[in-house]
Amino acid sequence: MRSTIPDKLRRGPAAAVVVTLAACAALSACGAGEDREESADAARNTVGVTDDTIKVGGHFPLTGVAAPGYSEIPTGHQAYFDYVNANGGVNGRQIEWVVKDDAYNPTNTSSVTNELVLQDEIFGMVGGLGTPTHGAVIDFLNDEEVPDLFVSSGSRQWGETPEDYPSTFGWQPDYVIEGKVIGQYIAENLPNAKVGLFLQDDDLGADGEAGVRQFIDDQVVETVHYTPGNTDVAPQIAKLQAAGVDLVVGFNVPSYTALSQLVALKTGFSPQWIYSNVGSDPNLVGSLLANFSEGAVDGGAGMLDGVITTEYMPGADAPEDPWVQLWQKVWDEHGQDGELTNYRIYGMAEAYTFVQALQAAGEDLTREGIVAALEEVGADFEGPGFGPFRYSADSHLGLSGLQVVQLKGGAGEPLTPVLVTDLGDAEIEEDDSAAGDAPPESGIPEVDAVD
Amino acid sequence: MQQLLTTTLSGLTLGFVYAAFALALVMIWRSTRIVNFAQAPMAMITAYVALVLIDAGYSYWIGFAAALLAGFLLGSLVEWLVIRRVDASNPINPVILTLGLFIVFHSLAALIFGSRFRSFPAPFGLRGFEVGDTTVALTGFGIFTILAVLVAVGGLVLLFRFTDVGLRMRASAFNPEVSRLLGVRVGRMLNLGWALAALVGSLSGLLIAGGGLVHPSYMDPVVVYGFVAAVLGGLDSPAGAVLGGLLLGLSLSFVSGYLGSELVAMAALVVLMAVLLVRPGGIFGGIAERRV
Repeated sequence: MRSTIPDKLRRGPAAAVVVTLAACAALSACGAGEDREESADAARNTVGVTDDTIKVGGHFPLTGVAAPGYSEIPTGHQAYFDYVNANGGVNGRQIEWVVKDDAYNPTNTSSVTNELVLQDEIFGMVGGLGTPTHGAVIDFLNDEEVPDLFVSSGSRQWGETPEDYPSTFGWQPDYVIEGKVIGQYIAENLPNAKVGLFLQDDDLGADGEAGVRQFIDDQVVETVHYTPGNTDVAPQIAKLQAAGVDLVVGFNVPSYTALSQLVALKTGFSPQWIYSNVGSDPNLVGSLLANFSEGAVDGGAGMLDGVITTEYMPGADAPEDPWVQLWQKVWDEHGQDGELTNYRIYGMAEAYTFVQALQAAGEDLTREGIVAALEEVGADFEGPGFGPFRYSADSHLGLSGLQVVQLKGGAGEPLTPVLVTDLGDAEIEEDDSAAGDAPPESGIPEVDAVD
Repeated sequence: MQQLLTTTLSGLTLGFVYAAFALALVMIWRSTRIVNFAQAPMAMITAYVALVLIDAGYSYWIGFAAALLAGFLLGSLVEWLVIRRVDASNPINPVILTLGLFIVFHSLAALIFGSRFRSFPAPFGLRGFEVGDTTVALTGFGIFTILAVLVAVGGLVLLFRFTDVGLRMRASAFNPEVSRLLGVRVGRMLNLGWALAALVGSLSGLLIAGGGLVHPSYMDPVVVYGFVAAVLGGLDSPAGAVLGGLLLGLSLSFVSGYLGSELVAMAALVVLMAVLLVRPGGIFGGIAERRV
């Protein structure tokens, strides 16, 4: 009750009197116990946190070119937060989730982030999506010391230099280690392939290329870039074809997977395709391609049969997996309309990690506290990821483990065991220690608070 | 060799689409001295009309015809309800108005049809033809694109050169006052001009959508390239617009394939600058004396 007094009121001497009076009234009214009182003191100084709520937000492309798939991610967060709230919340606090549409336009991201931080007064950002978009607000969030947890993008910049961005944490495996794993797979299994790189003209392409080239620099015969927004990729594919490429590695978004497949059909180009995880969602790409005539495209997820990609956690194609069963249960109970998709699972898994972070930060929830807790115990969080997180004082990078898979009928069949690695020259090691984690019975993590 | 062929053919196919679009811009410019920037979202809306019909189970051709008809009606309505009402004594007013319509149509489309990517079917195969053991990057739909634009251009030439209506439309554009004295209903002719232009715009929208992905802003680059093509051809010359479109489609394809896709938009700008510097009237310009 005390904490519902707006934050602004609490500044200034008059406000202090009001707060004190209100606090006294509340104390006498509900006779709050001693232990509750202490946590309330800390929470009172933390923006976005009250005794019984925590307000967090994120920016996502709900409209525009990046909306297919990505707009489903925050519905996953919502479903899992609702599930946790229905089970009593975290330390008695209900999680409020505010989603803002930035249409994948960095200018919009700046303005909606201002709204979230200054107007909605969120405790922290969770899952802000996109490399160019989030790149526009990372300085602001760190200047304001707003926890910027689990950016929905695999750029290395979120976690490589915690000294520059102490409040920001990555979540999914970064594109460099994904490139390394793909590069090593090619070097070991397809050593004679003539490799062409099909790259988005930003961090996604650049980081992926850096990783791949660590292993197969001599196998790459041609590199092409596309600019997001320019949908004519025929000249790029023609260039790969002209160079005699028989293996294309694409670090691109899903709509460009569909476009590159269409152009390849047109020019009779049939190499082995490898797409990075972000570009390979078989259901989304399949639905984009499903509609074309003359049986040129056989509709559905089968379109990408034979394509090689990577996975870092179980997806909707593995309904037997205990994690996917949990997500299915959460989605059935609290989800909105529509099926459980990989994008919704992504949102739920991020929300799961956020709940772990809240638990680790303890009842005295503060912005500094949650960052410190993640650095201290974040690497031990058990979750759906095949590999562990890399969180520490020296690195805020996310998951470290991936598996190379081949798509068949919309599902991935493993080609390698789980491979765990890090940026730079770090070895790639087989390690499935984290892959066997099963979710707790309740579906809610049980992380001890750090002191 | 195959790269050269693929780049050329995909540039040529795109060039025909730019040509159709430039033609639509030129038609409106000639009759009303307005550059209609709203042409792109108007075409986009009609493509969605076709998509809704096709998704509802009707054949591609019914969707195609409905879209062209919708384009015709939309062009007529926009002229009658909006353009005619604005004070055109300052020519910048209606141009700014078309920019406003651009934004309005965009938002409407996002509200009504949603803003996700949707695939747009094509009536012919999307596989390239095979000649010997190489595949030529010319699809059935590519050939249809080229033929459709040629038919549209031919039809317009016949209309303007050899029919009564065409003559009256040309007269209205050339000298409204004298035409009115001679009994031509100028307002109606201008309206017909807008409707026909929007129909040609819809055609280009359908052709670029076929076998690709559509979303509310898929035509936006086309309005830029179509405008450059029209200026390239002289803004006043239908033949120039077609040639300008082809030249631009080819050169942009070569820039994308051999120099880098990030340079495409800049290359279009360079072409525009070069034309304005060297031949301000465009390649086919030279009717400046008509300016009153």
